[in-house]
Amino acid sequence: MLNVSNLNKSYQIGKTKYEALKGVSLDVEKGEFVAVMGPSGSGKTTLLNCISCYIPSDSGEIQLGGTDLAKLPEAAIAKVRNEKLGFVFQDFLLLDGLTVRDNIMLPRIIGGQVSASMEQTADRLCEVFGIAHIKNKYPADISGGEKQRTAVARALINSPELILADEPTGNLDSKSSRAVINSFLQAKQELCATIFMVTHDSFAASFCDRVVILQDGAVRRMLSRGEVSRRAFQDELLNVISEMSEVSGQ
Amino acid sequence: MNNFSDVYFALRRKNKSQYALLFGCLFFSVLLITAYCLMMRSPTVMNTLPEGGDSRKQVMMIFVLSVIGCGAFTLYAAGLFFRHKSREIGIFLALGASKQTLVRKLRREVGGIALLACSLGMALGTPLSWLVWGVFRLTLIDTPEMALLFDLRAYGISAAFSVFVILTLLLMLSRFLGRTNILDIVSESHRAEPVRSVPRYYGIVGIALMTVGALLGYFTPSFCVKVLHWYAPDGLTAVFHLPTLIGLYMLLLHTVVNGWRRGRSRYPHLIATGMMQFQGKQTVRNMLVITVLIAGAYFAAFYVPMLVTPAQLGMKSRPEDYSFFFRADQNLLTQSQSEIEQMATKNGATVSDYMQQPSATLAVDGYEDVETTGKIGTTYTVEYREILASSRFLSESAWNALTGGNLNLAPGTVAAVFNSEGNSGGFISKDITLVTNPVTGQSLYVKSVEPVLKNDLLFKCRVLDDSDYAAITAGLTDEWQERQVLFNAENDNYTFAKELFHEIVARSGPEVELCDGYDRIIRARYIENGTDYFLEPENAQKFGSPIIDYNQPDSSVFRQYWLYMPQFRVLDQADFTTNMAVFLLLFVFVAILCFTAVGVILFVRSMTLVLINAWVYQDLRKLGASDQYLRKTARGQISRVFLAPIVTGTLLILGFYTLILLGNGEGGITGYEWAGLGNCLIVVAAISAALYGLYRQTLRSSYTQLGIGVKS
Repeated sequence: MLNVSNLNKSYQIGKTKYEALKGVSLDVEKGEFVAVMGPSGSGKTTLLNCISCYIPSDSGEIQLGGTDLAKLPEAAIAKVRNEKLGFVFQDFLLLDGLTVRDNIMLPRIIGGQVSASMEQTADRLCEVFGIAHIKNKYPADISGGEKQRTAVARALINSPELILADEPTGNLDSKSSRAVINSFLQAKQELCATIFMVTHDSFAASFCDRVVILQDGAVRRMLSRGEVSRRAFQDELLNVISEMSEVSGQ
Repeated sequence: MNNFSDVYFALRRKNKSQYALLFGCLFFSVLLITAYCLMMRSPTVMNTLPEGGDSRKQVMMIFVLSVIGCGAFTLYAAGLFFRHKSREIGIFLALGASKQTLVRKLRREVGGIALLACSLGMALGTPLSWLVWGVFRLTLIDTPEMALLFDLRAYGISAAFSVFVILTLLLMLSRFLGRTNILDIVSESHRAEPVRSVPRYYGIVGIALMTVGALLGYFTPSFCVKVLHWYAPDGLTAVFHLPTLIGLYMLLLHTVVNGWRRGRSRYPHLIATGMMQFQGKQTVRNMLVITVLIAGAYFAAFYVPMLVTPAQLGMKSRPEDYSFFFRADQNLLTQSQSEIEQMATKNGATVSDYMQQPSATLAVDGYEDVETTGKIGTTYTVEYREILASSRFLSESAWNALTGGNLNLAPGTVAAVFNSEGNSGGFISKDITLVTNPVTGQSLYVKSVEPVLKNDLLFKCRVLDDSDYAAITAGLTDEWQERQVLFNAENDNYTFAKELFHEIVARSGPEVELCDGYDRIIRARYIENGTDYFLEPENAQKFGSPIIDYNQPDSSVFRQYWLYMPQFRVLDQADFTTNMAVFLLLFVFVAILCFTAVGVILFVRSMTLVLINAWVYQDLRKLGASDQYLRKTARGQISRVFLAPIVTGTLLILGFYTLILLGNGEGGITGYEWAGLGNCLIVVAAISAALYGLYRQTLRSSYTQLGIGVKS
């Protein structure tokens, strides 16, 4: 599904060059729910932004379903973003001037795939994520959790191959976080969605099938949940992060 | 919602205030520039303001300032619009919209708004000019010369400005969407523009640079002319004003970033200062624009008090009510004292202190500036001429008779007559050495004596010892001789003054239908050199010099520029504003436009500043800030936007104006000029009061927008 190999990215700030990603390689299988964790500055969001092609990488390959995204022209990348990728952002990025339902339909409208089924799909997603009662409200009138569930529904409207989520629970309270994670799980189970999520939150990551741990721009560990309970997986994650912090002296 | 256009429409409807702001700013800028152009290029104004004169230069200078101000204002509005728009554009891009589609949509949208705003601004500029001018005519002064005519070519300038606005918008749009990092676009609307740390010496150095720039900018052109004998191109000397602009920028930067408070006194203003810093670049740019516009607006507004006050005081202090002179070859010789007395009696006045004395026009020596145009522009060399120009001469006994003085000049000496304040105004030199009879060619060597004589009514004359006068004027024909008449009138009235003036005009022949400055000696030299004399009536059109027409004795051109224009106190006082109406009201018009621009920019900038920081106010409220504290914080922001540029612009122009007066005068600033400056201060007080009113209104609006309870 998603293959990232030897990905490098650096930033130039003044005269200093910062290497944000140093040869990152990873794979995500279809239907998998993968989280990327790591301390601040480890390159999590940079990795996600490179995969989304929001920022160009310096070198390396990003293949989605066999297509190297980094080599695509601008128009083709836009098409991939619209049809094959779904996005969930930390600060929701909903358009204030559109209702919840309109926001959900936005990727279809942008892609010019307007049909009666679009509205039905949007309504169904509203039902699935428990936001049907607010579908005609504007973002300013709903809670943070509802906004993020709207964003998840929007990410799914085009049945994308991959959902990219950047700290989706970062701005939410625990109840809303749980609701959003449930949305992802529902999407995975009911809609066979593949999800790639960047998070700080070990609780959110503990629901994933696999967790990639980044540090200083490189992949340090990869943990699979397997058959263990969510709580046990969360404890394992916390232990690994703690060990890594001790080694690095943080 | 069926397509992307529907989405776009829905968003536009929701964010209509942003569209309205962009539209309003563009419309207002083009409206103002169009109204200004129409006025500036109007035949009504062009026919009145002398070509190459200071008034035209001043109007043009303020126009340039207005264009800079309005141009910067449109850039600000466009920048603000794109900042607001960036979030939704970023989201569209993130969700897979193609850049081409967005560029097309935005280009159509922004181009449409700009085109509509510019077209409407250009269309309504005409009725606006007409309306303001009409209100002037209705409420202040109305003369036939004020009939407003428009020159269609003026639209060319405002069309050029509109094209600049539209192209700049489209360029900004291309740059805006040309960025590759989508996340930058998404976060644009929330990004602050902090100014990097600014050293505290910026404030003082800024003031010093402004002072140096003002001095350099003002004195460099005269240094070039007087010392280097070079008429340096305006563009080159304008460079010397640059330190003023740099200093102004440094001063405003320091004011925004550091503030002038130090130590603990800065704590109460910490929040306001902090918020200002994070809008630093835009704030400083806006302040710069407002400062420049304020300076331009005051420059225009000062024109009226500086013209009217000295003129009115000068008229009031004339030693006699009536003064006129006429050539001896004119049939005004038959205009005897009794005729004037009869005319006065008929009009209910009584002539008293009647005096009539002869004068003569003779040639004097001096230095001529001989100009050469080369690669570096026009330079000149100074060459002595035994016969340079003409000058009116009185004998000492005629002077004594006319002024009641007891002047006794030694033979071989000459005294120049300056105005009552001791200024020559550049019209008369006190250093002549040779006087020549233009008819006989006989010459007389003289020595100029000091102090100079002072008299407003005999200004620009010279006085000779009686014996010298008799000798040098021997053989002069009537056309080189004049009669000077002075008298007072009891129960003086406008009707008598006007009838006498019209009678003088009616009796004057075509040979004296000449404009002020016409000099037969200079004319002879031009003809000798085979060149056209620029003040010759038939050359008036060619050189843009005033056209004197006996059929229009009450026109402002005639009253201002006739060589033999009488000085009748009651007539001059009553008709002064009428004669100068176009001048005065043009500058009032310009000042109104500039101050309106200042007001609009101040209001828009202040409101956007507080609204951009609205979330800070919400956070402060959560931290327990009272309404009183929030009001104080908003006041801290808005007062800085208002106060710094207004105070700086006002002081700058007052200083510059004083410098001009100091530079122009020969003995510093005269009493009349001080009085004029005093009236300028009254104008400053009135305008400041109006701006304070706007400040209060802006504060109230900002409190409402921020949801801060207004203090009852």
